[in-house]
Amino acid sequence: APWRSSARTIGAMAEAWIPLKFRLNGQERSAEVAPSDLLIDFLRDRLNLTGTKRSCDIEICGACTVLLDGKAVSSCSVFAFEIDGKNVLTIEGLAGADGLHPLQRAFIECGGFQCGFCTPGMIMLAKSLLDENPDPGVDEIKDYMDANICRCTGYQMIVESIQRAGSILRAEKK
Amino acid sequence: MGSAVGENVSRIDGADKVTGRGVYASDVKLAGMLHARILRSPVAHARVRRIDAARAAALPGVAAVLTKDNLRVAAPHYGAYIKDQPIVALEKVRYVGDIVAAVAATDEKIAEKALREIDVEYEELPALFEVDEALAAAAPVIHDENPARKDPKYGYGASLTRHDGTNIFYHFHYERGDVEHGFREADRVFEETYYLAGAQHYPMESHACVADFQGDQITVWSGTQTPFPLRQEIARMFGLPFSRVRVIVPYVGGGYGAKSGVKYEALAVTLSQLAKRPVRVNLSAEETFKTLCDPSARVTIKTGVKNDGTFVARRCEVYFNGGAYANSGPTVTERAGYRAHGPYKIPHVKTDAYCVYTNTVPGGAFRGFGGPQVSFAYESQLDTIAHGLEIDPVDLRLKNLLGKGELYTAGNIPIDCDLKSELKQVARAIGWGEKSAASEKPGVKRGKGIACAVKDGGGVNKEANALVQILMDGSAMLFTGSVEIGQGVRTALMQIAAEELALAPERIQVAPLDSHTTPFDRGTHASSAITVMGQAVQAAARDARAQLLAAAASVLGVPAASLKLHDGQITAGENRAAIAEVMRRHFGDLEGEITGRGRFKVERRDDAPLGYPATFWENGLAAAEVEVDEKTGAITIVNYVSMTDAGKMINPLHCRGQEEGSVMFGLGHALYEELAYRDGQLANSNLMDYRLPRFRDLPRSSHSIILEEAGGSGPFRAKGIGEGGTLAAAAALCNAVYDATGVRIYRVPLTGQTVWTACAEKPAPQKKGA
Repeated sequence: APWRSSARTIGAMAEAWIPLKFRLNGQERSAEVAPSDLLIDFLRDRLNLTGTKRSCDIEICGACTVLLDGKAVSSCSVFAFEIDGKNVLTIEGLAGADGLHPLQRAFIECGGFQCGFCTPGMIMLAKSLLDENPDPGVDEIKDYMDANICRCTGYQMIVESIQRAGSILRAEKK
Repeated sequence: MGSAVGENVSRIDGADKVTGRGVYASDVKLAGMLHARILRSPVAHARVRRIDAARAAALPGVAAVLTKDNLRVAAPHYGAYIKDQPIVALEKVRYVGDIVAAVAATDEKIAEKALREIDVEYEELPALFEVDEALAAAAPVIHDENPARKDPKYGYGASLTRHDGTNIFYHFHYERGDVEHGFREADRVFEETYYLAGAQHYPMESHACVADFQGDQITVWSGTQTPFPLRQEIARMFGLPFSRVRVIVPYVGGGYGAKSGVKYEALAVTLSQLAKRPVRVNLSAEETFKTLCDPSARVTIKTGVKNDGTFVARRCEVYFNGGAYANSGPTVTERAGYRAHGPYKIPHVKTDAYCVYTNTVPGGAFRGFGGPQVSFAYESQLDTIAHGLEIDPVDLRLKNLLGKGELYTAGNIPIDCDLKSELKQVARAIGWGEKSAASEKPGVKRGKGIACAVKDGGGVNKEANALVQILMDGSAMLFTGSVEIGQGVRTALMQIAAEELALAPERIQVAPLDSHTTPFDRGTHASSAITVMGQAVQAAARDARAQLLAAAASVLGVPAASLKLHDGQITAGENRAAIAEVMRRHFGDLEGEITGRGRFKVERRDDAPLGYPATFWENGLAAAEVEVDEKTGAITIVNYVSMTDAGKMINPLHCRGQEEGSVMFGLGHALYEELAYRDGQLANSNLMDYRLPRFRDLPRSSHSIILEEAGGSGPFRAKGIGEGGTLAAAAALCNAVYDATGVRIYRVPLTGQTVWTACAEKPAPQKKGA
């Protein structure tokens, strides 16, 4: 039956390694991954970048958010091979040589986290928001950030953190 | 210096958490570490006839398979109060998700594959899912093995009744006055029953731990809220001295009660013992749903009042669906029972609170700890009484509320805040007494509701110890067992030490939490750290300071009383010396350090119902204005004001975070969260189907008011916070729905279906008291 042969094909694929070239946090990298490897496991287990956090596993909570060519994605629901030829930014790549990114500073100053487990994903999503819209209103922040869940803060202080970061970034550009 | 307390000092964990550098238990990696996966029961109640794990054990990469057949430990059962939960199922499985076997392998995929190679033969038994089924005379007894238990010694007015050979595993009773006499004296009697669904804590980090059993030494890395009770329990189970068990607590990705006591640590230790390698257990989100929940509850409350609104008598009956294992259910039940009559002057009170075994996910500690269930009932009923007597609900509360300094029960500390003035403030903030503006949307009604609740804060019989070391260069170390679960406690405790040592906070380092070096603490729960550990840290800092000043007095040849300590300098009149200089001379030009010790212990009082007084009263007030769409049952919060008293805010920014976080926890439980069972299977054990509050659920307008009434027992008159917001939310919302529609809701969460159904079944004319 046809489904049998396709199952065999997938089985055979599982043995094959896929070579990748990608840019990770500003550095050119290459690796080989199995077809079924998820990006989150590749980052956390293979590259030891454990700042990206695992929580719901089904693209609901956003704890594992990373930027892929500048776009926020849930790394629990992206295959590792999908980063081939792309630019990956994780929380570890956000701080510059001159210190913390304005979002990181603002999250500390405005109480934008408590346990900190949602924080890397939250900050990466907020970066994507501020890249698209440097001066978002409160409703725009709530709409955009609705993709991620925080269980500690009650959200208000995250909204304020993003507003603060936005104003720091706008002042820096002037 | 000397102003560290009351400032928004930067979190000591800030940089670690915003850069991804911080290590959580789920990030711990050891050389040779294996990964575990767990085989869970697909049936709710069954005898385990036979397990065949031979094929699983033979798979390449599998290092150990644990089943009842190779479980060899000194004591296989654990439990905070009742030792009823085995590391893996022995004779029976008792809920869907119960642990049957576990595999440790070189990676999780292999372990997962091995689980599919384990054959288990079950002999199904009748299963019980609801409290009433479990209470039925003919119901099978879920724990017929008579588990060992440790029952507390209650004081005046409280008692515990054992119901051995039934499914009731805890029954707390509290009584004062003569409740029947009270009801006879009353002009009106109101009786209602309220229901609350079970909920999931959903800490963003699922349960995670790593265990390494080498020789006769166990090391456990765990995101636990109770490292020392965990150490004791592991030592008992594996027959080792406490000193051979080391618990290290990395960062914890949220707890809210879920991570108290033994969870997966004993399983990881057993696998490590079998495999002779370190083993990591890191659950999936779905498994976390199947580990522990906030138990569903039914609260019946009957109140006798005079026509002028004076409360005379209250009878409360609370039933928790405790699930398959007791966990911390006994204490949740006890505390719900103790809290059930609310912060009111009531001469005659009688309460019974029960926790009942069923074949569902175990229930236990959850932010609010039994308080949210009973406060939903008593604060909703207060409105029913007010409307029945045609008295404004705020006025009825003011008439009956306990004043500052009055006793909630004998033997406890007096109420340490002014609830009446707080109630007036929160009423003013919502515009109480002014009619709600009409909604812009047709068919949508607006209304306002208020609620006011307290819980005895700081836990029962707490003990905490701390060390403060002053090092040679004048910098300092703080050793404390309070767990940083997000609340910012280790920063706040550092601020307390900094204030006492008149030292810049950045000169103090808080040592990592490691049971081999950190002194004993009973656990991070019950909003206890600031009043309990806070006093231990303060005492340790004062002890260190006194030793330093004594050394300085001897070095400088002046009386210690004439010395002042400020910003790393010791001054005596015109003379001054740096701490480093004093230390150098004190230790004769050699190295040394000063160690200050602090201990805080709540003393027993036999006249206190729970045997011990609280360390403070945690309060939660809320005022809500809502819109109700009767055609859909949808509720929108137009405005929400929450209030709590912190006594004194050690770190105002973190206090606000705790208050707002607990409000959102309360709103989630009141509006959305509900564990749904279908044929004994938890049907929504994932975030697709279980609805958590999100950004879009922020009320259109909301703010939190944190008072500093300076009545706390903690350092600088501080009290604990962080649970108050969970106490008042459900009742404030239901009271607002009543104000908008005239419909009383007896069940939370307020899903569209619940509200729509209640509105559709048009309200009966207002119930008159009997």
